[in-house]
Amino acid sequence: MKQFGKRIWTGALAAAGLLVSTGSVLSGPSVASLNVCTDQLAMLLAEPGQLKSVSNLARDPTLSSLHEKALQYPVNKGLAEEVLVAKPDLVVTGTFSLHNTTGLLSRLGFAVEEFAYAQSVETIPADIRRMGRLLEQPARAGAMASRFEHDLAELEPLACSRKPVALFYGARGVALGKGTLAHSAMQAAGFTNMAAERGYEGVAAFPLELLVQDPPDLIILPRPTPGAPALADEILSHPVLKKLKATVTGSFSRPASLSCGGPFTMQAIHELRDLAPSLLPCRKASGS
Amino acid sequence: MNRPRLITMLAVLGIAVFVLSLLIGPARIGPVTSIEALIAGGNEAAMIIMREIRLPRALLAVLIGFSLGVAGAALQGLLRNPLAEPGIIGISASASLGAVLLFYTGLAGASLLALPAGALTGAALCVLVLLVISAAQASTITLILAGVALASLAGALTSLVLNLSPNPYASYEIIFWLLGSLKDRTMDHVWLVIPLMVVGWAALWASSRTLDALSLGEEGASGLGANIPRARVLVVCGVALCVGAATAVSGAIGFIGLIVPHLVRPLTNRLPSQLLLPAGLGGAALLTIADIVARTIIPDRELNVGVVTALIGAPFFLWLVIRSRRELF
Amino acid sequence: MQLSASSISISLSGRQVLKGVDLGLEPGQVTGLLGPNGAGKSTLMRALAGQLAHQGHVEIDGRAIAGMSEVERARIIAWLPQQRVLSWPISVQAVVELGRLPWHGWRRAMSQADREKCAAAMDLLDVTGLARRPATELSGGEQARVLMARAVAQDTPVLVADEPASGLDPAHQISMMAALRHLAGQGRTVFVSLHDLSLAARWCDRLILMKDGEIAADGPPDKVMTDATLRDVYGISARIGRDECGLWLAPLGLTEGEMGNG
Repeated sequence: MKQFGKRIWTGALAAAGLLVSTGSVLSGPSVASLNVCTDQLAMLLAEPGQLKSVSNLARDPTLSSLHEKALQYPVNKGLAEEVLVAKPDLVVTGTFSLHNTTGLLSRLGFAVEEFAYAQSVETIPADIRRMGRLLEQPARAGAMASRFEHDLAELEPLACSRKPVALFYGARGVALGKGTLAHSAMQAAGFTNMAAERGYEGVAAFPLELLVQDPPDLIILPRPTPGAPALADEILSHPVLKKLKATVTGSFSRPASLSCGGPFTMQAIHELRDLAPSLLPCRKASGS
Repeated sequence: MNRPRLITMLAVLGIAVFVLSLLIGPARIGPVTSIEALIAGGNEAAMIIMREIRLPRALLAVLIGFSLGVAGAALQGLLRNPLAEPGIIGISASASLGAVLLFYTGLAGASLLALPAGALTGAALCVLVLLVISAAQASTITLILAGVALASLAGALTSLVLNLSPNPYASYEIIFWLLGSLKDRTMDHVWLVIPLMVVGWAALWASSRTLDALSLGEEGASGLGANIPRARVLVVCGVALCVGAATAVSGAIGFIGLIVPHLVRPLTNRLPSQLLLPAGLGGAALLTIADIVARTIIPDRELNVGVVTALIGAPFFLWLVIRSRRELF
Repeated sequence: MQLSASSISISLSGRQVLKGVDLGLEPGQVTGLLGPNGAGKSTLMRALAGQLAHQGHVEIDGRAIAGMSEVERARIIAWLPQQRVLSWPISVQAVVELGRLPWHGWRRAMSQADREKCAAAMDLLDVTGLARRPATELSGGEQARVLMARAVAQDTPVLVADEPASGLDPAHQISMMAALRHLAGQGRTVFVSLHDLSLAARWCDRLILMKDGEIAADGPPDKVMTDATLRDVYGISARIGRDECGLWLAPLGLTEGEMGNG
């Protein structure tokens, strides 16, 4: 008996030794993320110890829905040197960020994968699955993507007297039009995007006068950054917005949920839907 | 030209472009409906648009244009230099820097008074530095070069402060501070600048007789009983109030104080005191026209009004420099 | 009015420019101030006109100038500086009208009396025909007359002018001096500095010669313009003569022993 016990212990020690010697990653490559959107997907899908670092923006509450989770990870500023030091097997980043850096990293022999900014809710599951493939976490990614697709399909049209009209209005009179994630989310939630209706695409200057002439049901304003004043905050207290009696104006509770695509985007869509009854007479919306 | 006639013509021009400015905007409201909504009420949406969006914008164009015109004329009278202008010699940029320093760093607790307080201080300090430089060395080149240096420095420091702000929008706001805009201004802004500007106009008007005497040089003016130090203080304060208040609300708008006095001077007897009011009225009209151009020249987009004034003013300035090469050197 | 100065001393940049100068000026006379370059003439004039801080006292009819306001002083003394400055191309009319500033000050418009004074001044200096022309486009001589007209329009009992005739052609020099005599004839106190010895000798009632910050000679031209004073003060020799109108003077050359120095 004693010999059998010894063997088990030796085996266990050997297995433990194997575990320690290959590092804490059991399966899948080590990853460094340089972009706030890839940060969040990576944080959701990576195994403990797989994600070596995330960008410093991941900790910014106005840009990252997972800003608290990001505190666990070391941060990088997107510099090639930091990647060299961390020596990950894979680097994930956005298509529009730091081209010099990504070019340099490729030349130095790192595997670099670029993700485009999500412009539509329909592409989010594909991005989730792709990240899962890259991180070699297919099961987790598959489950997350399927849940997203399910929730999206389950969204019933709002049962309101008419389709509510909304607008994301921001610093210095800028609105989010066609081709932005916010627009896509609004449509999924059953709203009409006032900016897209008028033909505005992307992030575009939207005249205040048009808001007055044909007021939407809902205007979503940015949150002021506490302790850091800027002229951009002036729009929040513009007298005109106060005079629009039939319009609800306010800041979105999750400002970061529409800057990147991920499972949190679905939460944003649900939140928008839940606002509908306060704007128009609606029958209780189901599937939220 | 006969002075009453000149004043009347400029006033009529100013009123005409003011009304035109009120009638132009992305919401296509007919002229009759617009004026009716402005004065009597009626259509709710039209009323809000006219009273809260178009009226403050048009009023600010007139007030700021007037102030910049008068400040330019007075500055030229004091420095005895027809090229002195708040934008070129760095006063507007210094006002921007002062406003940005006080507001974005949160030093004044994000109060909306931080902007004008900072702008006034920045403008006053710049004028003082220029006075010291021009007292030691009276040449035109020195003054303009010093002004350009101050403008560059102020612009660079403004950009630095904005980049250091934790607010994500701050660094984009550099365009507003350096190139000015009247977009989405409110009646609150109008009420804020009026008292500051009125005091500024009064100070400049009070100095105007001494500026006339200075046409004969400092010794000549002194012999006529002019109090030159007092005139300097009045002009510094007046320019700081006018340019500071304007910049706090609209960012730096340049060249108004150069173009208008230059165009209007030949129509007066060229004494500085006679130039102030026509320069002010001309400035009001010019800035209103520039703002109309900024809103209409590219369909569905709006330019910064400072871009329009620079596009007119900078070539004009170059032409002036080339044309008066003989006298300047 | 009588202008009296006592113990005027001024030190500029460490150099003693005026050393305790005393003098009194009488109304109804043209008093000429002469002296070599660097004697301190301009400095003395500035001090008398209240333009320069100094030790000592200057009084007008017994009243100290130092205690007066700038405007009060400008109503008593008209000061015409040596440097002719015109910053803007304003009309001759406008330049002369500036002379009325101490009188109407804040009042925007000039009164009829103001306008008459300007017209009289322009007439005296013969610049009425130039009224509409920009003063900056005139010749040196014309500008000098225009600026003098400004000082005359100021209508003060005392006129202090620093080299008003310099750079003028002979005809204009003479008409300038004639105008000054006319003003003195009205009872004003006229004090001018001159470089032209002959002009000074002929047109002034009294001459004051300065050298090295002090008064070297003071009195009527006959008494002051002597070979001795010319040699001591200027270091020149001259032929001096007299005709029915007054003295004339022709500098001939440097005196011996003064060759090579000023």
